[in-house]
Amino acid sequence: MYESKTKRWSLLFFVLGISIMMSSGCNTSEAPFLLNTVYVRAKKNEGLGELNAAQQKNLADTLNAIFGTPDMPELPQIAGVDFQGLVDLEKLRVAAGPVKRNESGRELGLYRKHCVHCHGITGDGAGPTASSLNPYPRDYRRGTFKFKSTKGTDRPTHEDLSRILVQGIPGTAMPSFRILDEGELDSLVHYVRYLGIRGELERRLIETAADELEDEELFLDLDQPGSGIFQERVSLIKEELAAIVDSWTETQVTEVPPPPVDWGSDASIATGKKWFFSSTTNCSKCHGDTALGDGQTNDYDEWTKDWTLKVNVNPLEDLEKIREYERLGALHPRNARPRNLRQGIYRGGRRPIDLYWRIKQGIAGTPMPAASSQLSDDDIWHVIDYVMTLPYDALSKPQNVPENQREIR
Amino acid sequence: MGRFWSLLFLMVPILGVGLFVLAIAGTELPGLSLRDHWLPENINDGGYIIDDLFNFIMYLTGAIFIATGIALFWFLWKYDAAKNPNPVKFVHGSHTFEVVWSLLPAATLLFIAIFQMDAWANHKMRRPILGPGPDGIEHTADDELKPAMVEVTGRQFEWRIRYAGADGKFDTPDDLHTVNDLHVPVDEDIVIAIKSQDVLHSFFLPNLRLKQDVVPGMKQFVWFHANRTGTFDIVCAELCGWGHYKMRGQISVESREKFDAWFQDEFKEQGRTQLEPSEDEE
Repeated sequence: MYESKTKRWSLLFFVLGISIMMSSGCNTSEAPFLLNTVYVRAKKNEGLGELNAAQQKNLADTLNAIFGTPDMPELPQIAGVDFQGLVDLEKLRVAAGPVKRNESGRELGLYRKHCVHCHGITGDGAGPTASSLNPYPRDYRRGTFKFKSTKGTDRPTHEDLSRILVQGIPGTAMPSFRILDEGELDSLVHYVRYLGIRGELERRLIETAADELEDEELFLDLDQPGSGIFQERVSLIKEELAAIVDSWTETQVTEVPPPPVDWGSDASIATGKKWFFSSTTNCSKCHGDTALGDGQTNDYDEWTKDWTLKVNVNPLEDLEKIREYERLGALHPRNARPRNLRQGIYRGGRRPIDLYWRIKQGIAGTPMPAASSQLSDDDIWHVIDYVMTLPYDALSKPQNVPENQREIR
Repeated sequence: MGRFWSLLFLMVPILGVGLFVLAIAGTELPGLSLRDHWLPENINDGGYIIDDLFNFIMYLTGAIFIATGIALFWFLWKYDAAKNPNPVKFVHGSHTFEVVWSLLPAATLLFIAIFQMDAWANHKMRRPILGPGPDGIEHTADDELKPAMVEVTGRQFEWRIRYAGADGKFDTPDDLHTVNDLHVPVDEDIVIAIKSQDVLHSFFLPNLRLKQDVVPGMKQFVWFHANRTGTFDIVCAELCGWGHYKMRGQISVESREKFDAWFQDEFKEQGRTQLEPSEDEE
């Protein structure tokens, strides 16, 4: 009696379990673009208004109306905003959406197959695997990229982004995607730009909303499309978007002057060394006297400063606020580490021309500044000379290990 | 009814063997293509040793699989309860049987262990040499081993590649760095040093019948002699994390001239100090 009862119960649970699995199964709901709530909180911490749930939803809906959803991205049709060559809707849709093949056998959903688990659906650099990586994956939503041929915080060129995809970034978790064909790489670059433009507009709308909105007031109140404030907001969106798109279109590669004739000579290396330790360049202040990257190591990058130091939140002291951010999806703040120049690992590429851009323009979003104007182009080449010898310096050499034995590090 | 089940179990060896036969033949059936489901083309001179070993073990285990399947079927069929009214008789073991089914597999395994020694030696011990060394006799302990021309470092989730360059030494300014893109000359003994930067990976060149786990902190050597040009896969054959599936590269086997030209081009690019004269400048 007892036995048959348990049997019947377990059968019931079994059937129940199977039916739950079948009903939920692979049928996941469509992925949404979530609002940058970390930035919303940062604006509140800065002393601007706090956006309530309805206001946040209104902002998210506004952005979805402009850019579509992760499964079906759209491009806004706005006079004066030209996405030509920047973001192509067809290419976008190859990279977007769930992973599958279309009728002609072409693979779709490339972003979700290759990128999303680190860079996240919105490009926030906080996908499921992000927290275990050091450095953290790039957050595209500032439009700031580190390794590029353009000056300052200017946007990267198409070539800059695709080069990173092909080469990967040694010293980080970003692998090479050389095996993808050119069309696939191309659509991923377009998708990254799309997320960058979207994220930047999102930030600007959050800034405006936090600054201007009264209690309960919606950013775009669809019930009153004729009102003056509605029109004002729409034209604000158009203006901001046009400015963002322009910043991507107008970006320009920094010209690289040829190296001096004595480049590569001992004299050139010695000059570079002199500059490396001078107070004009301050290289050794951060990279350390031995160039091991052990100088100043307590600074943060701009992506982190956005919601910490810039809004009066100290990552080391205001732990309660940091924990609030983390509950909203932010990754725990980490210091920006100056590069160890003796490893021979160059994240932005090891060609001298890459090093020239790094030193001349600085590295956007990081404490690495642009070269001082007192440093002539020739002097920059001398510094590159010196830096390029560091990995082969006696101090950097690995110990000679007999073959087929364990290497001791 | 019992005999129905015995027939159903007979389908296991039949379908199992059938699938292998169709895959080897590269069959196209409606709705089922078994093309490219067997071993990929072998382009390594020594690769046949691995294939022979694989085939030998497959035929051996295949024969045992078929025999076991038929024996199981036969017992099910013959001793079907509906046809056998007499009760079962139990026996308490047979010394002869036990000795036979212990010794036979032991002997088989021992045979395989000895039979594969040549393959093992070829892949693990007989590294190509430059010369016989001081004693003037080849294949002795003091042979001058051929150094690695290239070092491949596995890393989540890519293969970082470094060529020793003109001086034949690593950690010098003339090293060439690439990623996921290995080039080697055809018809030459190629020695590759393989390493891992983070976790266990496995450096797998299916067309060269070469597979070796790479272990963090340990440098190992693999070698092959490719006899055909073309582009082939490099894959990771050890689950190494989330992105294991994307840890793929390419090996291009090309003529010596083409290889040298490629090397020069890449090396020039690595030393680039100037912008390319832009073609798309409007």
